[in-house]
Amino acid sequence: MTVPTDQHKEPKQDVTFRIFRFNPQVDSKSYFDDYTIPVERGITVLRSLNYIKEHFDASISFRAFCQAGICGSCGMRINGLSQLACTTQVWDVLAKSREPGIIKVEPLRNLPLVKDLIVDMDPLVDKMRHYSNWIDSTMPEAGMGKKEFLISEEEFLRYDKATDCILCASCVSECSILRANKEYVSPAVLLKSYRMNVDSRDAIHGQRLAELVKDHGVWDCTHCYRCQEACVKSIPIMDAIHGIREDAIESRGMKDTSGSKHAEAFMSDIEKKGKLVEATLPIRTNGVVWTLRNLLPMAVKMIMKRRTPPPPPLVKSAKGIKVFREMFREMTEHVKQDHKSHKK
Amino acid sequence: MKRYAYYLSCINESMTKEVDRSLELWQKDLGIELVKLHEGTCCGGSNLDYVSPKHFALVNARNIALAEKMGLDLIVSCNTCLMTIRSAKKKLDETPALKKEVNELLKREGLEYHGTTEVRHLLWVLTDDVGLDVISKKVKVPLNNYRIAPFYGCHILRPSSVLGHDNPRDPSSLDQLVEALGGKTIPYKHKNRCCGFHTLLVAEQESLNVAAEALQEAIEAKADFIVTPCPLCHTSLDGYQSKALKQAGIERSIPVYHISEMVGLALGYSAKELGIKRHIVS
Amino acid sequence: MKPFDVVIVGGGGAGLYAAMEAMKTNPALNIAVLSKVYPNRSHTSAAQGGANAALANKAKDDTVEMHIFDTIKGGDYLADQDAVDVLCSEAPKIIRELENMGTPWSRMADNTIAQRPFGGATLPRCCYCSDKTGHTILQTLYEQCLKKGVIFFNEYFALNLSVNGSRSRGLVAMNMKSGKIEAFPARTVIFATGGYAKMYWNRSSNAAGNTGDGQAIAFRSGIPLKDMEFVQFHPTGLRKSGLLVTEGARGEGGYLVNKDGERFMARYAKEKMELGPRDLVSRSIETEILEGRGFNSPAGTYIHLDLTHLGADLIKSRLPQIREMSMQFEGVDPIEEPIPIRPTAHYSMGGIDTDNFGRTVMEGVYAAGECGCVSVHGANRLGGNSLLDILVFGRIAGHTAAEEAGRFEPGSISEAELKEQADGIRGSMHSSGHYERYGELREALGQTLASNVGIFREASLLKRGIQDIAELKERFRKVRVFDTSDVFNTNLLQVLELRNMLDLAETVAAGAYAREESRGSHTRVDFPVRDDAKWHKHSVATLVNGKVSLGEKPVTMGRYELQERTY
Repeated sequence: MTVPTDQHKEPKQDVTFRIFRFNPQVDSKSYFDDYTIPVERGITVLRSLNYIKEHFDASISFRAFCQAGICGSCGMRINGLSQLACTTQVWDVLAKSREPGIIKVEPLRNLPLVKDLIVDMDPLVDKMRHYSNWIDSTMPEAGMGKKEFLISEEEFLRYDKATDCILCASCVSECSILRANKEYVSPAVLLKSYRMNVDSRDAIHGQRLAELVKDHGVWDCTHCYRCQEACVKSIPIMDAIHGIREDAIESRGMKDTSGSKHAEAFMSDIEKKGKLVEATLPIRTNGVVWTLRNLLPMAVKMIMKRRTPPPPPLVKSAKGIKVFREMFREMTEHVKQDHKSHKK
Repeated sequence: MKRYAYYLSCINESMTKEVDRSLELWQKDLGIELVKLHEGTCCGGSNLDYVSPKHFALVNARNIALAEKMGLDLIVSCNTCLMTIRSAKKKLDETPALKKEVNELLKREGLEYHGTTEVRHLLWVLTDDVGLDVISKKVKVPLNNYRIAPFYGCHILRPSSVLGHDNPRDPSSLDQLVEALGGKTIPYKHKNRCCGFHTLLVAEQESLNVAAEALQEAIEAKADFIVTPCPLCHTSLDGYQSKALKQAGIERSIPVYHISEMVGLALGYSAKELGIKRHIVS
Repeated sequence: MKPFDVVIVGGGGAGLYAAMEAMKTNPALNIAVLSKVYPNRSHTSAAQGGANAALANKAKDDTVEMHIFDTIKGGDYLADQDAVDVLCSEAPKIIRELENMGTPWSRMADNTIAQRPFGGATLPRCCYCSDKTGHTILQTLYEQCLKKGVIFFNEYFALNLSVNGSRSRGLVAMNMKSGKIEAFPARTVIFATGGYAKMYWNRSSNAAGNTGDGQAIAFRSGIPLKDMEFVQFHPTGLRKSGLLVTEGARGEGGYLVNKDGERFMARYAKEKMELGPRDLVSRSIETEILEGRGFNSPAGTYIHLDLTHLGADLIKSRLPQIREMSMQFEGVDPIEEPIPIRPTAHYSMGGIDTDNFGRTVMEGVYAAGECGCVSVHGANRLGGNSLLDILVFGRIAGHTAAEEAGRFEPGSISEAELKEQADGIRGSMHSSGHYERYGELREALGQTLASNVGIFREASLLKRGIQDIAELKERFRKVRVFDTSDVFNTNLLQVLELRNMLDLAETVAAGAYAREESRGSHTRVDFPVRDDAKWHKHSVATLVNGKVSLGEKPVTMGRYELQERTY
């Protein structure tokens, strides 16, 4: 048993919170305010913000509700990283802070700014609506409440992690593609879509998937893994995104969209040569017209620098390709068997 | 001389041939020998894993097994190949049934996947095995006058559960390499961001925006060049540079080097020997 | 604005179920949900344990009747037995309904919904989804409301019920994004704003917003509140935040230790030690603290929950969430050192007095969930019955309001009424007479409630509490809103919430002072036993001429006679 040490002595550090400020009513542009307070161990960023709001400047605006890491209200960028203020310990942030003693607090990115640390969540809700982020039950409403669907633990585990999402929007804030285009579906909405699509009680899988494969949908993800890295609930978001793609290819075929065609090229090249045939990848993904229009000027430069990938006949197969191909094809048989027994 | 199995990335055999060419020039100078794995196949490029998870496992179990047969660690100089092969390894190591299924097939080639070989990036070999001290001692032409923007790219950092070498929020190995060669790194916010490569053919506008942002920061910080450990990032930042910057309305440009070229320069090789002239942006 | 048929205040489990059910009852109705947060943030998400329903998936011999009896006994016979009948009989249907709509549930080997044992229940009947049951239920309801096209007014703060004699004309609320005061003329209004236990502030496990807004608005409009003195305390809340450390920590063998290094539970429950019933453990910890055997700290006096002897392996494998919580919210790794804890206010049994259909005494005004008091929990709520309550009575209130909306004419809300609200707010921002600081008042309220209206109650303490609250209310008249912005003024919001807490605190203290007995969560040191002859009745608080007036209401009995409550 640990013997308590002197209970009154709690070491403190002076911490400067550099807080992003913007009030659209009066400010033409944003600025930062510094507040320095002594902080003992065990204090979270949110508690510090509450303290500053109560003792220094009541006008600092941020959202906070459960203060326990479950409601998702207090997502903000703390020293550049999107996370929950209520579960982030000041001393931990300080230990990794590049500027000693300073913690910079900013609003989430990729959502419209309302005031100070508050961003507008409506665009995210709108996307949840657009991508039908709900179960449309196979059970007619009149029949509800009478008996349970029988669901295996195995199926439950397929969406268990995904349902941990608290919509704090940290992933939204960190997403590379959203940064480039605000119309992109968003990692959180892909995650929720995946969760609905693998639920056997849902009746609109195909309809939802059809929406997801359109522009600004699942194929626009650039696999940067920033969403997954930022997730405050450690949800493997990329698994969900890949899950949707796998599903799209399985249920809609490989010739469906430029995204699936691009993915198919990898599969077929590996089978044929063991190597990617990069020269024809643009054409196979987007067709001749697109390729000529988009890549011709670049191709000229590349030819001058001898940088063009070799044409298909000149791509050397990997050594031992024959046996490799046999193995690859046999695996294709395995996969077919898997699908058959899965459908049973 | 420390030996490694060297994985041949598709892109380094086609568009970015200068990577392997420059490596051949100086590897012995630093006491390493990279044995090319000619039997290796494409890793699936972070696509095969969702097209067919089982083929993905098979292909990369084989790539690793080839290195295991030689008793060598597998070294990769493309971020995405690194992440992909390491993900497959993790999956195989965590799923005995999959490992068994794959090994049944690999038997035909006299191969077996054990999971004993490490899959590592060239950058890590330089910083951890060769050592920064040794590297700085070998420098002939220090990069004294250069301000360098270190662009790590995604798949050498994330997912950290698969990579785990650098802190994805604040990576340092590339910065250290630059400094060991006598260069000066600039503070570079985009160092751990994305280059946009993987969606260049699917969501071109978005990808070019992503690339342009990274380029813009380096240009505005007056960096002399960007250096990257990944040929895919290089392709996006160099090959697509003029297109990206044009879309963003920026008129200047900035060269992008591979780490193999940067090391080569410091070891006294010429830009021509290293293949730097092959870049689109000079 | 076009008048609404149903306006629901609150977007938690009760509010969302009410919205869904109202739409189902009559799709032609114009229905809106107002919430001061995005609905998916609501405190329903914090419920971890589960919801009770006699599905008999786990225990094949479980019955609705046993659930009814457990609930009545758990509530120390203060619950209305006809209401408990409704709660428990509807339970299996509503859990299945949620399941049919897509709520994820943990599953048993036979693929039915999993159930586990819970305090006070004879058999394992608590349906759960890992440790996130409330969260997944709330997500499902929100998703279903989006699917059905429910109209949401998110981040709207309800200010006032517009009343015309014996009935309401609708609601006045503030759009937080713009600061504009808006009218919501409506035929019916349902209050579903959750509980009021946050008035104990950092001695509460509740979300910052559980400030009893609906109860306070209803109370100020003359609607009676019922059984307000009953507030449930959980033994192990974290010292700094009041957040819960679940019973699992003691279940795995954790010790409760005072500053003398003593496992003090030996004094109170020699055999069961740390695993005694919740109220007993809470009272024991509180006794140690009161008798000077706690640790002092700037964040308050506490005792230790010591897990260090369990070893890193066990803590990591069996108690990972408790470890994570201690590290995130207290900066303490329980592998290395003990967790500082003290009892924390957890749930409010009292609320707006309703009948079994959610109706209040005012025509067209309804209430449900923790905001209302039917009463199904009586003097003490059982674990797993709170989620059930919000679902069952949320749905009933939604159905009733939708059915009855046609009976009422929508009143119109005058500009003058809006202006009155706006002027009140503006006044607290500028006038020279306003200087009191919100933080100080709120802190003082939490303090006096914890010390004087807390776990142990006694006439002299309660008197002091009542006096403190009255003084704080007086000081509140001079409170200053320092943020003068219209856009998302969170400082104003805090002040408005404090007003609600102060109004309700008065009813809690008054009820506790009046009730001269000990029953369920209400422990009077000076009246240590249950007094059925004098106090087997509900207390009812009404605002009369600006003062709390206490009345009473009989308890509806049924099949079960009064018995001593022993476990």
